[in-house]
Amino acid sequence: MSLKLLVLEDDDGIRTALSLAMEDEGYEVTEAPSAEVALQLVQRNPPDLMLVDLMLGGMDGFSFIREVRPTSQAPIIVLSAKTDTHDIVAALEAGADDYVTKPFQVKEIGARLRALRRRAGVTVNPGGASPAEQTTLVLDSDGGPLVLDVNAGVVRRGADEVHLTLTEFRLLCELASPAGRVLSRRALLERVWDRGYFGDERIVDVHVRRLRTKIEANPNAPQLVVTVRGQGYRLDIR
Amino acid sequence: MRGPWSRWGLRGTVTASFALGALIVSALLSVGTYLTARHYLMDQRQATALRQSYADASFVVDGLLARDARIPDVLSNVNAPVDSELVVRKDDRWYSSALARGAQTIPTDVRDGVVGGAVTFAWTTADDQPALVVGVPLPAADAEFYEIVSTTELRATLTTLAVVLAAFAILAALAGAGLGRVASRRLMAPLDDVATAAARIGAGGLQTRLPPTEDPDLATIVGSFNSMVEALDERIQRDARFAADLGHELRSPLTALVASVQVIERRRDEMPPRTQRALDLVSVELDRFQQTLEDLLELGRLDAGVRTQVLTQVDAAELVRISLEQSHRDPSMLRVTGTDRGPAGHFTVRVDKQQLGRALVNLYDNADRHAGGVRAVTVQRIRDRVRIDVDDRGDGVPEADRDRIFERFVRAGSRGSLPGSGLGLSIVAETASSLGGRVWCEDAPGGGARFSMELHIAPRQAPTATPVADHVGAW
Repeated sequence: MSLKLLVLEDDDGIRTALSLAMEDEGYEVTEAPSAEVALQLVQRNPPDLMLVDLMLGGMDGFSFIREVRPTSQAPIIVLSAKTDTHDIVAALEAGADDYVTKPFQVKEIGARLRALRRRAGVTVNPGGASPAEQTTLVLDSDGGPLVLDVNAGVVRRGADEVHLTLTEFRLLCELASPAGRVLSRRALLERVWDRGYFGDERIVDVHVRRLRTKIEANPNAPQLVVTVRGQGYRLDIR
Repeated sequence: MRGPWSRWGLRGTVTASFALGALIVSALLSVGTYLTARHYLMDQRQATALRQSYADASFVVDGLLARDARIPDVLSNVNAPVDSELVVRKDDRWYSSALARGAQTIPTDVRDGVVGGAVTFAWTTADDQPALVVGVPLPAADAEFYEIVSTTELRATLTTLAVVLAAFAILAALAGAGLGRVASRRLMAPLDDVATAAARIGAGGLQTRLPPTEDPDLATIVGSFNSMVEALDERIQRDARFAADLGHELRSPLTALVASVQVIERRRDEMPPRTQRALDLVSVELDRFQQTLEDLLELGRLDAGVRTQVLTQVDAAELVRISLEQSHRDPSMLRVTGTDRGPAGHFTVRVDKQQLGRALVNLYDNADRHAGGVRAVTVQRIRDRVRIDVDDRGDGVPEADRDRIFERFVRAGSRGSLPGSGLGLSIVAETASSLGGRVWCEDAPGGGARFSMELHIAPRQAPTATPVADHVGAW
């Protein structure tokens, strides 16, 4: 079954061309010329992936992402002008997973979408030397235990599910395999986003911050996902 | 400030003028003081000597009028001061209280005056010592009386006074010079500020302004300088904005075109050969169009400056290696010198990775297009800089063109056959300068051209060296 892709773009030319190209790539494409239309489409028929232009008439792309995020964990790629470097960070903070700058190559969008849909095919491992492959891991035993279940693709605190986006979940899985090891921003960019050396490390930083707000008791003094100055990030199991 | 003064500079001239003025004033004062003091002291001495001589003369007269008086005895009985010498002439004979001197010490005009019956005195020298000779006629005893008063002390006093005054005159001149130095520095300080600001603006710091001043003499120059920079900045910003707007406007239709052509290209095999050729042409030209637009936008970003840069600390050698790999070139062309001896951070630079990577690829592309490809890439540390050399296989760049090729839309060859946008090297140059470095072109030692880029080594562990995720919200 083909994946459902929502294209939110107000420029008719770009939207049509992009839809044609993405259909060639095998996606089932839904077009939305405005954020208002897109919100209705998302409710009626939740997409697996979204391409969102930031500059729209009416409701803008940032607001759309914020609006749609609580109910959708689908990866969102932002179509942006690279000059607006603040816009990129703002879009990531609003909940976007990655960005592509205009004018883009269709190939590049295809590659970005594929990277974001990759399975989190990792086995989590608290000490690094455990012979038995674990698919669940207790991250935090304080209060209601925080459990990462890789196979089920969920994180639970006690009985409640913590709503992570697909990308946040994959980021957590990478940090947990094995936990306690420092992963550089570059390594995370490569593993989660399939971006190389020239990738934008701010993507990692913003996602780590978003992840912290969801799983840390106090996101401003993180104890699970800690920053190792000058090196990267580390998951400390408590 | 023309003519001979210009050689001294403004500072030198002001200093010299102050020194000269101080010297003239102090010299006049000194000479005046000296002359007045000298006149006064000599008058005093003269009056004292006259009083003394009268007293001594009357004593000698008394002695001479006594019966059986012997003149030497009379003279030795006079209680004259030690620095005085008494000489008496009576009956054509000279009598003196000291052996050494006598009639020959007495100037003739004094003698003539005394012979003529008048009290006479004169300044003279006796045995190279200054002296005052006072002559008093003694008609009662039918004799002449002379007193030779040594004025060595007076001369010593005057000499000391002269030395002291001269010393003060010189000191005053030096103090004047110092004052001139300070005053000229104070005068030049605003000019220095203007020069510094102008240099900073010249180097691209268009936000530079002179601080406002209360000084009415400077307010005009500061005001007009700042408004000039303001106007310049506004003009440049407007141009940059126009270029950026143009780029953005072109980007939307171009994006749609590129995507559509890619859709058509997937069905290339279904087309007749003529259509295929037309499609290929569209693809190639579209690529060139897109490349040019991206280059223009990149230049716009560079013009906008640091505001859009994402700076991180990276190892320059690693960045060069990866830029070779990612642009599908052989990384074994890279030669890194000095890594074995160098400590960690030997090549650490603080750059926008994407910008620098793109600039390097532009250099490689340039070698491919114009000079038969890259022959070698060298990364080395030179003092506090990292230098990246890209050598090509071409014939080198004529010396006259070496600066020109970094300008926008300048190509070495004819346009028709070359696919570049003509902006690649200017992006390289502006990337380097936006990172505080520079680029230049020269002959490579083994033939061909060498394009070199120099960047500053990043200071160790600058506080912002690693973007810490905890602070992301501050963006």
